[in-house]
Amino acid sequence: MSEDREQQPAPEEEQPRGLKRFMGRFKQVTYGMASHDMTRYALRTRASMEHLFILVTMGDMLGVPILPPYYSMRLLPYVVPQVATWKRRMLREKDVTDALF
Amino acid sequence: MAEATGTDEKLTSLAEEFEQHPERRYVMFGGKGGLGKTTFSAATAFWLSNKGHKVLVFSVDPQASLSDIFEKDIFGKGPVKIAENLFAQEIDADQHIKEYQDEIRQKILDMYGMDEVPEEIEDYITAASAEPAMEESAIFDSVVDIVNRGDYDYYIYDLVPLGHALYYLSMAKVYDEWITKITRLREEMREQEEFVARVRREEEVEEDQILGELHDIRDRIRTASGILTDREKTAFFFVVTPEEMIIVDTRKAAELFAKFDVPIGGYVVNRVLPEELLTEDVPGYLKKRIETQRKYLQKIRDTFGQDILAQIPEMERDVTGMPMIERVAERMYGG
Repeated sequence: MSEDREQQPAPEEEQPRGLKRFMGRFKQVTYGMASHDMTRYALRTRASMEHLFILVTMGDMLGVPILPPYYSMRLLPYVVPQVATWKRRMLREKDVTDALF
Repeated sequence: MAEATGTDEKLTSLAEEFEQHPERRYVMFGGKGGLGKTTFSAATAFWLSNKGHKVLVFSVDPQASLSDIFEKDIFGKGPVKIAENLFAQEIDADQHIKEYQDEIRQKILDMYGMDEVPEEIEDYITAASAEPAMEESAIFDSVVDIVNRGDYDYYIYDLVPLGHALYYLSMAKVYDEWITKITRLREEMREQEEFVARVRREEEVEEDQILGELHDIRDRIRTASGILTDREKTAFFFVVTPEEMIIVDTRKAAELFAKFDVPIGGYVVNRVLPEELLTEDVPGYLKKRIETQRKYLQKIRDTFGQDILAQIPEMERDVTGMPMIERVAERMYGG
């Protein structure tokens, strides 16, 4: 849901006016230096949790029934876009390179 | 009542129970199949509606017999008016599940502007509906709808057999804890999101709809089990008959229900053969049956004591149609 936000900071800062423009760039650079990694990390954690969440609610799809289906169906519409990536991640084969990267 | 049953024991009246606890709006008769739960539900609904209360008697049993007792086909037709202030409803669980599935599909289509539901999602929806737990959940969920609407003074719940109710209660307990857990996970996810938003100085993050749904699901589960377990509002009566197996099973069931905090209002004894029959020239068979019954009635008194609220005699014909319901109501509540 939120990984797309990772691409770039808000676009409305693109006003081509001297100081303002400079300040904008400066903000981006400091953001990149100081907090980009942190943000990335937070988003990654968020994404892992998202997948964990889908697993515990929609586990049936992989043959792991956890939540009673009547109620998990209520949540189904919200996770439709993530189902494909989630399945890919859950069913992916893991090898030694996973530990390295 | 005593003249009808031939027993001179003083019984706490069922009518008194209702008068003393006007706040008990959810009335249930529980017991093994075929003991007369539906009969008592219908008779109680009749009696209460006659007293000027607006009553809904409803059933969630797929083999519902309210249609039979009121001699009117009401299955899956919503609340049907039977008499003044008296409404009956038989919930069609399958229908409810179908509508629910369609709702989910429509929501997916609307949310993402799709023309059709993606195949794997559709597969999931279809497969999930085949789960056995689906029906229980659907049933209790529709009960929540009915009760939440609050259109009636009394809700008489012609209960599914004991096993189902217990199964749902135990499910509800697990679900509740479980949903509390995933709600926490969801909230942690939100914290991560908010952190990112703060660092990037973004506006407030959008509201988490899933969290909202989770809270709603938990509320519904609590309402559903609350209907069965609310000490203030629930009156749960067991139906017993003077038979060895039934007495033993009822006692066991009562213990189990007590474990799940179901407040047991009392016991109603059904199918009591009138003792007057003995004075006439009776065949040995009937005589023997009445003597056996006497033994079991004693056992019922020993087991349930003061909690026995009424004794209803075995009728000379089955209870269907309003005149018979009225007669049972008279026996139960003293007219």
